[in-house]
Amino acid sequence: MKRFLRGNYPLEVTIEEPAEGAPDATEAFERKALSRLGGSICFVSKKGFLWKGDDGDGAGTKDRQPA
Amino acid sequence: MELGRRIASRLNEATFERIAPLALANAELNRPRIRRSILELAPAPPGEGDAALVIAAGPSLHRRGSLARLRAAGFRGAVVAVDGALGACLRHGIVPDLVVSVDPHGERIVRWFGDPALTAPPADDYFRRQELDPVHERDEVAANRELLDLVDRHGPRLRVAIATSAAPAVVDRCEKAGMALYWWNPMYDDHDAPESLSRRLHRANGLPCLNGGGNVGTAAWVIAHAVLGRRRVGIVGMDLGYPPGTPYARTQYYPELRALLGDRYAEAFVHVDNPHIGETWFCDPAYYWFRDVFLEMAREAGCRTFNCTEGGILFGPGVTVTPLERFLEESA
Repeated sequence: MKRFLRGNYPLEVTIEEPAEGAPDATEAFERKALSRLGGSICFVSKKGFLWKGDDGDGAGTKDRQPA
Repeated sequence: MELGRRIASRLNEATFERIAPLALANAELNRPRIRRSILELAPAPPGEGDAALVIAAGPSLHRRGSLARLRAAGFRGAVVAVDGALGACLRHGIVPDLVVSVDPHGERIVRWFGDPALTAPPADDYFRRQELDPVHERDEVAANRELLDLVDRHGPRLRVAIATSAAPAVVDRCEKAGMALYWWNPMYDDHDAPESLSRRLHRANGLPCLNGGGNVGTAAWVIAHAVLGRRRVGIVGMDLGYPPGTPYARTQYYPELRALLGDRYAEAFVHVDNPHIGETWFCDPAYYWFRDVFLEMAREAGCRTFNCTEGGILFGPGVTVTPLERFLEESA
């Protein structure tokens, strides 16, 4: 703020500049809100619908007991 | 940008941070119980023809009488129901070909299958508060007892596409009711990225990872086309929002929004004009995120998607809005 405003008289109080990069109240609130909301499963953009592994063995039958 | 949409735009990462620890812990507990992969459904998928109908548990399912209409139509394609719609399906004489469950919550989700441990109304008003399944708001304990009987009776005929994130209480309940469980991993992150959790989980249990789109309804739609191979997928009960006139206090995230925002909680809700029904519905930020994600996924899907919900906020490119009967007739 001091970079933009110049007075022609001395101030009797000290104006504290917010620290660079510190979250403002809105940001802090939204971060808190985000921690309480959301879905029950993730979404991964642009990764298709089903990934069966590099070898395509999504059946995972190698080391488990058959049903 | 209004507050609700701003929060919605950031829910992707937030969902990961909120659920991944519990979901991965559940995956570890569930690992010894895995007998079948969801891919084992693919060679002989349930239902006839190239169509599937996904049944979600939004308020339009009851408001529009979708289940009675479905039963009357004698649909022969695959019926894929979310866990929250299982009880309503069974009460209407519809036994789904596949039930989908994913949410890792330790106490709530088992209620959709009937909770053997519930003997008194719980302090958590989740089921009483919302218009998810109207029988729960009247008498939770009686509704639970009825659901226990129904699920026990039909259990041996039911197949469940269950995520490794599911709570062990849900797995217990499904196994004891005689259901056949077909397992899959939720996709948590980019499996090509270094240190990917999805890749690590796949290496541990060998199961495929499914991109779930934020909620069980979208996951069920993904299963219908990407696993069962259906080319025409209809949807009922997927409102992703609340009907006009619903009190804010009866919405899913109301307690959280009230606690966070105080008297300004209403600012978090997003209002959406639905031109197909001429109504303005509203949703909380999570549902708005689900809608954005669904529309993004629908554009890439190898199926045609028909939203037969007749309510809600899910419409846009890639989603054909149509009455249920028309979808069923054209899928016959």
